[in-house]
Amino acid sequence: MVKETEVLELHTETLNQIYAHAKGEFPDECCGIILSDGTREFVRECRNIQNERHAEDPDTYPRDARTAYLIDPNDLIRVHKEAETQNRPIKALYHSHPDHDAYFSDKDKADATAWDEPVYPGAAYIVISIYDHEVKAIKAFAWNETDMDFEEVPIEVNRET
Amino acid sequence: MAVTVRIPTPLRRLTQNQAEVEAEGDTIESLIENLEASYPGLKERICDESGNVRRFVNIYLNDEDIRFLDGSATAVNDGDDISIIPAIAGGSLDGERD
Repeated sequence: MVKETEVLELHTETLNQIYAHAKGEFPDECCGIILSDGTREFVRECRNIQNERHAEDPDTYPRDARTAYLIDPNDLIRVHKEAETQNRPIKALYHSHPDHDAYFSDKDKADATAWDEPVYPGAAYIVISIYDHEVKAIKAFAWNETDMDFEEVPIEVNRET
Repeated sequence: MAVTVRIPTPLRRLTQNQAEVEAEGDTIESLIENLEASYPGLKERICDESGNVRRFVNIYLNDEDIRFLDGSATAVNDGDDISIIPAIAGGSLDGERD
């Protein structure tokens, strides 16, 4: 679990993969899950089904994929199974903010919280700001047990060893 | 019908920290009722006031999202695997209507 005093360590290759994903999905938000066995990191790109849900039910889903994401439930179960069977717990969840900055929005916070607590308590949330296909910033946020809120945690980039 | 139900981390407080529990039920709906009897508080977290599965909760029968089966009426058979997994969602732009 990411504690308040900790940093989020990520491999250079992981960053490159999620940046490429963000660029590929621009101007839509990309989303995915980063698994880790403690040594290696595994980026699992997920499908953002926000456009489908928005088209089917715009009252419930007023946003399209340019300002929102929803991970495809089929991708979600697949990654959960991998996490369990391969002993690769979820380390972080990532998504991009096309043409917006790298903040943890009200919607990000609301969707990351359920039953008055974090839905994925051990995972950090990574937000990538991308303007016109260029990554401008990346930030990470994690649940702080003391403050009972999400707070920014520094990202430390390492080479895979 | 005894099936195994996978419980998401934030709800394990209600299942004495068990990641998997056994439950009975012919459908997802009756399964949830039986879970509630064994682990009070689970149902209100999984379902809204009308009894519908909450939008941010995914329930899978043998890795199939029940939204694409028969929803809460989906039949459950002996030995099936049920997973309850919270959705992952979010988005930019503060304060927009949702």
